[in-house]
Amino acid sequence: MSELTIAMPKGRIFEEAYQMLIDVGFNLPEEVEMSRKLMIEIPEEKIRFILAKPTDVPVYVEHGVADIGIAGKDTLLEQKRNVHELLDLKISQCYIASAGLPNTTMNEIAPRIATKYPNIAMNYYKEIGEQVEIIELNGSIELAPMIGLADRIVDIVSTGRTLKENGLVEYEHITDVSSRLIANPVSYRMKSARIQEIVTRLKKFVN
Amino acid sequence: MSLKMFEKPLGMRDTFPITYEKIETVRKTGREFLRSRGYDFIQTPSLEYFDTVGKASAIYNASLFKLVDSQGNTLVLRPDMTTPIARVATSKLLKEKIPLRLAYFANVFRAQQTEGGRPAEFGQMGIEVIGDSTVFADAEVIITAITLIQSFGIESFKITIGHAGVLNCILKDYTESDLQANTLRKLLVDRNYVGFEEAVESFHLPKTKSDALLQFIDEATNFVSIEEIEKYVRKNDALEYMQQLIELINVADLSKYVALDFTLSSHMNYYTGMLFEVFAEGSGFALGNGGRYDGLLHHFGSEVGATGFGIRIDRLLEVLPAEEMQDETVAVIFHEQDYLQALTIANRFREEGKRVTLQSKKGLLDEEAFIKQFGRVVNVSQEDLV
Repeated sequence: MSELTIAMPKGRIFEEAYQMLIDVGFNLPEEVEMSRKLMIEIPEEKIRFILAKPTDVPVYVEHGVADIGIAGKDTLLEQKRNVHELLDLKISQCYIASAGLPNTTMNEIAPRIATKYPNIAMNYYKEIGEQVEIIELNGSIELAPMIGLADRIVDIVSTGRTLKENGLVEYEHITDVSSRLIANPVSYRMKSARIQEIVTRLKKFVN
Repeated sequence: MSLKMFEKPLGMRDTFPITYEKIETVRKTGREFLRSRGYDFIQTPSLEYFDTVGKASAIYNASLFKLVDSQGNTLVLRPDMTTPIARVATSKLLKEKIPLRLAYFANVFRAQQTEGGRPAEFGQMGIEVIGDSTVFADAEVIITAITLIQSFGIESFKITIGHAGVLNCILKDYTESDLQANTLRKLLVDRNYVGFEEAVESFHLPKTKSDALLQFIDEATNFVSIEEIEKYVRKNDALEYMQQLIELINVADLSKYVALDFTLSSHMNYYTGMLFEVFAEGSGFALGNGGRYDGLLHHFGSEVGATGFGIRIDRLLEVLPAEEMQDETVAVIFHEQDYLQALTIANRFREEGKRVTLQSKKGLLDEEAFIKQFGRVVNVSQEDLV
């Protein structure tokens, strides 16, 4: 059995996904000490977890230093990396939407869109034939329309509470998002038996 | 934009001596191997017209390096070798010999949009068999690919084979419009299996059809034998062709390197027949790919079949087993007055097949650091006269 390296996003998704692997029968320790650790070896299962920033997971997988990984669909859409998207894990389900101040229309010439997903936002407005100016921000996106930096924001929405608390309303639903199991194309071939086994077990559990 | 003094254009790389020698070794091994199998090497120009080769090439338009010549025509730096070879084969070579077995080792150019550092120019080695439409030509290409990779000492690799005809038949039979079939095909090109399942569900197909598609996508990349695909496809030529092809690879006793993947699909519609990808342990990226491209020949006005493959040299270097380069190096260091002796000594070593560096002592800033680079150091002095 070949060693398998799995890139996991740090934080809440890690815990959910890790529990999922335990639930489908992988022999993993119930408690993992992961405060500062970036790598966890599970010799019993010949699995090695690497813990990465969620948006970096597809990078590790694309380059093949991780065979498979768990990444948000938002990250996959934004980065368009060369990885296989194998399974929708149906965890951390949310969606990407545009939002803005209530009862506002977009500036006619080139409405400004603040987002941390410049590619997703650009593609969306391109497809509907709207000329926009994209402003890339790294956080506190909701601030942009409040302070007059942008007409709309494009951001991830799970409950809508953050929008509401900042006096914003949702305008357009752009795409659904959830965590996906992804694989490196070479690993998918060279370690196909192992990866396929994980996919099959998880698939049964998810559905 | 102001350029820094040492900056190079995006994606362009220098090849340093150690890598250069590795590439030369690869070239030599590959060349001898392919010539022994009856392939003739050819070279085509670095620049081609955009309207002919550029447009016909399977490489995305945005990846082409474009320039304008003095007559105002748009040119491209060749983005692949298959298209120029198809051009020269139809215009000239096929009239002299058919079928043709051609080989190349050349650099191709593909502009990079993302992430600096990925090479925009890289070497490719490959073959094209033009003018033979039989399954034996495809078997020959796959077997050549396998044995070529073996000739480099690589053992852990896989070739996954699919067939555009089989896939098209399945997509057509289980969907209700060309639009649906094309949507699914596009998702397979991106290897987005999740998207495939979502799309199937969104089509609201009759249950038998959607169930068949979902089960197909579940199994299609992991068929152990060709028989397993049969339940999805009605009897057709493409399926029979694949059965024959797999049988020929079995006969050659190479089936352990081969896996079936009927989701394999190309964004170019002239890949009408079998197609394959090559993966090797040690690199995160595919080593190469190939397939039958009769459609490209038709584009150039010829009705003969063509098939071939290419592997990327940069990826090949990543997966090559580590090998110490054992050149015997000698430095012959001399004082001004001993030049004649130095020449004599250097030539004597060269005749023995050693790599000899002739260096005057006066020209050295740091003799100690310099001589460390060599296996053996000879200081020429008057005593050597005798």
